[in-house]
Amino acid sequence: MAQNQRPKSLLDSLGEEIIRILTPVSICMLLVVLLVSILNSSSSLYVTSSIATIAYSETGSDSSWDKFIGALLNSLVFVAVVTVATFILVLFFYLKCSKFLKIYMGFSSFVVLGFMGGEIALFLIEEFSVPVDCITFLVLLFNFAVIGVLAVFMSKMPIIVTQGYLVLIGMLVAYWFTLLPEWTTWVLLVAMALYDLAAVLLPVGPLRLLVELAMSRDEDIPALVYEARPVTHHDSASRPVQTRIWRERQNARLDSEDSSSLNSDLNSTVSIVQSSHNGARIARVEEGQVSQRDAELSAPLIDHRMDAQDGLSTESLMLEGMGLGSSGAIKLGLGDFIFYSVLVGRAAMYDFMTVYACYLAIVAGLGITLMLLALYQKALPALPVSIALGVLFYFLTRFLLEVFIVQCSLNLLMF
Amino acid sequence: MTVAAGIGYALVALGPSLSLFIAFISKKPFLILTLLSSTLVWLISLIILSGIWRAFLPLNSTTWWPFAILIFSSIAFQEGLRLLFWKVYKRLEDILDAFADRVSKPRLYLTDKMQIALAGGLGHGVAHAVFFCLSLLTPAFGPATYFVDRCSQIPFFLVSAIIALAFVTVHTFSMVIAFNGYAEGNKVDQLFVPSVHLAAGMMTLINFAYGGCVIGIPLLFLMAILTVMHCGRMVWRRLSESQRQVDS
Repeated sequence: MAQNQRPKSLLDSLGEEIIRILTPVSICMLLVVLLVSILNSSSSLYVTSSIATIAYSETGSDSSWDKFIGALLNSLVFVAVVTVATFILVLFFYLKCSKFLKIYMGFSSFVVLGFMGGEIALFLIEEFSVPVDCITFLVLLFNFAVIGVLAVFMSKMPIIVTQGYLVLIGMLVAYWFTLLPEWTTWVLLVAMALYDLAAVLLPVGPLRLLVELAMSRDEDIPALVYEARPVTHHDSASRPVQTRIWRERQNARLDSEDSSSLNSDLNSTVSIVQSSHNGARIARVEEGQVSQRDAELSAPLIDHRMDAQDGLSTESLMLEGMGLGSSGAIKLGLGDFIFYSVLVGRAAMYDFMTVYACYLAIVAGLGITLMLLALYQKALPALPVSIALGVLFYFLTRFLLEVFIVQCSLNLLMF
Repeated sequence: MTVAAGIGYALVALGPSLSLFIAFISKKPFLILTLLSSTLVWLISLIILSGIWRAFLPLNSTTWWPFAILIFSSIAFQEGLRLLFWKVYKRLEDILDAFADRVSKPRLYLTDKMQIALAGGLGHGVAHAVFFCLSLLTPAFGPATYFVDRCSQIPFFLVSAIIALAFVTVHTFSMVIAFNGYAEGNKVDQLFVPSVHLAAGMMTLINFAYGGCVIGIPLLFLMAILTVMHCGRMVWRRLSESQRQVDS
């Protein structure tokens, strides 16, 4: 065909970077939706009492206003804990205790993969009646968790293993969040989006301080960050994936949520697991250490590395960032993965129509955020736009679209 | 009726779109983005329509003329939105061409433009299939099935999947025809698309009568085949024209 003789068209490679970050986000959301639909269909009211429900435990019989106030209190407590933990993280980073932070993060990942992953594996085994004995299960789980920790913190692993484990960690944490009561989940999502907005854009916000500290010291922020494979072109030299390169260029970053709160949550849920075997002693010990355990499971970054050409106009930067001519890679913090998946997972608990609508809304929000990033060239939060659109579309679909569609479809009228 | 049946119904509605996606669209990231934005646009159109009509629902399901008004207004709105979609696409085309000049790559070929139109149409089709068919399929994964009174020979899920398949075809290729019609200023093409959409929508009204789906659904597929043939003819004509231009 004549096409083989033509030079490569513009369309072949445009937008590749965005797709490379959209694919893992979509996979994570899909996995959470699958887990929710498989495990929650047994309608077990497994109410986790965690730090997110410390102020108010939702019961089915309360009035709407009570539920709303309770959810608001829960979210305020949660956001307060997250703020405190982030400030402690900034303090540790300022005092140059990065080694301690890294070790602690490795430990958190092990706990997430080992305990949360184990819990969910047990649910699945129960659901599907898989014949497996304890010892085999323990050995497999232990190996799985250890490789996960190594994959996330050593750069010598194949990148697909690292990316896979990051997506798995995001999925596990997101699934646990969907076990919270309904009103609390929605108000919590909105509260986290607002917190993200404040923490990144206000001059006194902890995430902004963290980013500025890291930039001024030319260091990595010790956190869990998903990095898409950089787009290499035949005409540009393949650059080694070093994080220091982006310091010299113009860089614009998106900050997303750090989930030190997740650790607090983690402690309480871990303590729930353990207290069912031992006494409440462990629970109290763990919860007492909340203030000291401050490492993050997710990093506050979307890092957009640009090419070395200075003096680029914004427009070309925007399109340049979409993969043409730049060897940059987009990094997305794991907190974004988690909260997007929580939103979609909670939508899955209602119906699949809301799932599709929320998925499209979140993807649109992510696209808009990436465009704003290219436009403003400074640290931007990744949560607010997507969560806002997601929540909006959820309620619009639930209350408007569903009635309309069901009316038309059941009468076999379509357009 | 079980997971197998559920997956079967989903594939009846979306199988060809999946093949189109894997064959053409998954290779070019820009087309995936076009597909996603197109799906989003048509979802927004459905939400706006449901917002407008919410006050009048639920409609009395014995009379057919309120439904006729509903379908007519929805199709008119969607066709208006298609025109807006075209205008936005025109602007995007200019930006892409300017960008191509700047990085010294060739401008958009005709096949590129048609592929973008195809991705846009596929987005429309996928939005229709997902919201009208797939989202109602959840009970089909369970142990039972459901029959509608008006079309009691086959399960409801299968009927809606078949109708969704026809509409996916109509929407996908209408977008190619429409974009080409607007680009060339071809009045026939420009009018073809809204009329086919309207005809297809009105034909589903035939499903309203008892046993009407036996007549309505084959007619719907006739419209789908008509669209595909017209699109094929149009694409062949344009490609051979541009080939003749290149050769001469």
